[in-house]
Amino acid sequence: MTPERFAAILDAYGADPRRWPDAEREAARAMASARADALAEADALDAWLDHAPRPVPSEALRQRVIAAVGAVGRRGRLWWDRLTVTVGVGWAAAACAGVVAGVGLTRQLAAEATADAVLYQASLGLDEGLIG
Amino acid sequence: MAGIADPDEDLVRRVGRGDPAAVQAMVARKLPRLLSLASRMLGDAAEAEDVAQEAMLKAWRQAPRWTFGKARFDTWLHRVALNLCYDRLRRRREVVTDAVPDRADEGAAPDRGLLAADVGARVDRALQALPERQREAVVLCHYQELGNIEAAGLMGISVEALESLLSRGRRALRQALADIRPGAEGAG
Repeated sequence: MTPERFAAILDAYGADPRRWPDAEREAARAMASARADALAEADALDAWLDHAPRPVPSEALRQRVIAAVGAVGRRGRLWWDRLTVTVGVGWAAAACAGVVAGVGLTRQLAAEATADAVLYQASLGLDEGLIG
Repeated sequence: MAGIADPDEDLVRRVGRGDPAAVQAMVARKLPRLLSLASRMLGDAAEAEDVAQEAMLKAWRQAPRWTFGKARFDTWLHRVALNLCYDRLRRRREVVTDAVPDRADEGAAPDRGLLAADVGARVDRALQALPERQREAVVLCHYQELGNIEAAGLMGISVEALESLLSRGRRALRQALADIRPGAEGAG
């Protein structure tokens, strides 16, 4: 690593090796002791930056987020429940319609069969009367 | 499947299955990071809370269909939060067309000691005074502690371009804070 590249790394990433590029970290570490002034300058800026307020989520925000996630979850479940009910009702209606149609058809077929039987019986009686 | 290892994989899978404890854990793990990112990008606590909350909701919705191995969930979440921040910054620009206040730091009297909180406020103002892309680079690499490749990918730029933004940003910060003497904090 050249001194120029080491200086560029300090300019960009600061003095903490954890922030240096993975591929260059070890080479930069090896150069650090020889460039103590540059390292100290970068370290001073890092220290100032670390004075910036560190926002911490309030308990109110945490609860708000959890409640919002829960609300979305409930809406999602409600949507699913509604879909399930709608599909279920649809299937039930179709099944009922099938049963009604089936019963109606059966009754009609039964009536037709009865009528046929009566006519058949009548024709037999007629035939028998004619023969007798 | 060989891909990008994701330290959040187990948690995201559990959130995706609707595990309430995992939702709590996700909030505990990600909300501070998102709030930190949004606060430093926006410089407004209330807006930052809104962004953090909205990003968390998107995380919850995304978890069930997240594909592991292509990107880290945390990186995606940062992208979501950054997009929300940029939406708000854009709206601010539309509202405040001209008369943008010059955010040059007023500094402090050299002979006056500063409380640590004063120093923090100075640093925060200096950070807010940076151009947005420089601020984004500094926030991602210094405060969010993302690696350079991850940060560059998030910003859609090369690592070289990221380093250029970082160098310019840190140089501007150094100039803005030049009058603070080492050890000044706590002396007031």
